[in-house]
Amino acid sequence: MKRILSIALAAVLLFASVAMFASCGKKSDYKKIQEKGYFVCGITLYEPMNFFNEDDELTGFDTDFANAVAEKLGLQAKFQVINWSSKYLELDSGAIDCIWNGFTYGSESNGVSRTEYVDFSYKYLANGQCVVTSKANLATLNSKEAFVGKKGMAEGGSAGEDLAKELSTVYTPTASQMSALTELMNGTVDFIVIDSTMANAMVGKGDYANLSVNNAIPTEAEEYAIGFRKGSDFTAKVNEAIKALSADGTLATIAAKYDLSSSLIANIGK
Amino acid sequence: MSFQIINAMLLRGFGTTCLLFLLTLVLSLPLGLIIMFGLKSPFKPLKYICEIFVWIIRGTPLMLQLFVVFFVPSLVFKVSIFSFTTKTIFNGRFLAALITFVINYACYFSVIFKGGVDNVSRGQYEAGKVLGLTKSQIFFRIILLQVIKSILSPISNEVITLVKDTSLARVISVAEIFFINETQILSKAIVWPLFYIGVFFLAFIGLLTVLFSYLEKKLSYFKV
Repeated sequence: MKRILSIALAAVLLFASVAMFASCGKKSDYKKIQEKGYFVCGITLYEPMNFFNEDDELTGFDTDFANAVAEKLGLQAKFQVINWSSKYLELDSGAIDCIWNGFTYGSESNGVSRTEYVDFSYKYLANGQCVVTSKANLATLNSKEAFVGKKGMAEGGSAGEDLAKELSTVYTPTASQMSALTELMNGTVDFIVIDSTMANAMVGKGDYANLSVNNAIPTEAEEYAIGFRKGSDFTAKVNEAIKALSADGTLATIAAKYDLSSSLIANIGK
Repeated sequence: MSFQIINAMLLRGFGTTCLLFLLTLVLSLPLGLIIMFGLKSPFKPLKYICEIFVWIIRGTPLMLQLFVVFFVPSLVFKVSIFSFTTKTIFNGRFLAALITFVINYACYFSVIFKGGVDNVSRGQYEAGKVLGLTKSQIFFRIILLQVIKSILSPISNEVITLVKDTSLARVISVAEIFFINETQILSKAIVWPLFYIGVFFLAFIGLLTVLFSYLEKKLSYFKV
């Protein structure tokens, strides 16, 4: 009897301590951000959106863009490198305030629309999913059929996963677009699917001189937007700021700096 | 990227690794002692709670615990305690990782402590009683030092494992050395820092090994 009683008591105490985590009052998302004085953008590192330059400073189109929006709102933008596959967890838990890193307006690879998870801002940049292979393989990988059975890779949870899976059944997801590029350099995969903005900035140049965009597979057009928590009032505030920055030419200046002028969407919000 | 920049990045990451290691060690040893008292408590409910707790913590992967500590408070209980950022490396993610590591290692330490205390012969307690010492005096003045001597080797094993386990913190994006290497260096197809990181760890663990053998020598005058 005494034994059963003590076990029961132990269980009660255990549950009581868990239940102590009481929830607190609800404040609007924007109000919370204003009180903090900053918002945190969840990013991964790649050119030309968010990357460290030669001087070890974080730069890139999305970096400058977020800083410009922050300035407009009287806030500060902070950047947190995250695991791309846990981006919605990070967002919902409040560890980041927005997904601002060449985030494609579209669906997850399982077909669920991303609008199920986030509220999107205005679309601001045109992008595409393109196939990259080594220059040596360009001649043989010249049709959709040639890709069947080849080893493909894309960033897990990225927009490129769809195309990679469609082209070949031998598909492996990886942690970031940059690591996909590294694997291709390493020869452990035959082709990768990455953002065309990134491919234009990096492939065929410098360290990646022996890689090339493979035009046998047409690029799938899409657009970038910023992802916010569902129902957040912060979305509207950022949208206003984007509209103003698009109208006064600030965005065009930033785009020119990163060679993205042709991809920038004009007159956002009009 | 030049050597200086990569070096600076890696040193920054290794700083986070070392801080996480040192804080975990300093906090988990006393907590382990407290849990050990719970495990040996004559009060049965407390003993059962501690046993269940140790079973849960030792029985689930550290990586799972990191996710639970970091995400569950805010997603389930709507308290965002780990969302703060600072100018230093001490941000919400770091705190979440630290709490997880401290609890996890305290449980392992508590079991090692318990084994050490169980191995001290009854005669030591009886001798203390004869001399008129109180229960806490017997524990802290007679038993504890003998326990420390006998558990030094298993503790050194745990400590060395802890140095390397800190790399798991990268799953919640703590900017420790492997996270920095993975996101900023290895992703640019630069491989040599892998060996450089290996040297960091070898040197650090070499230092710990020397420290532990020094401690063992210091305690060797005890003949138990």
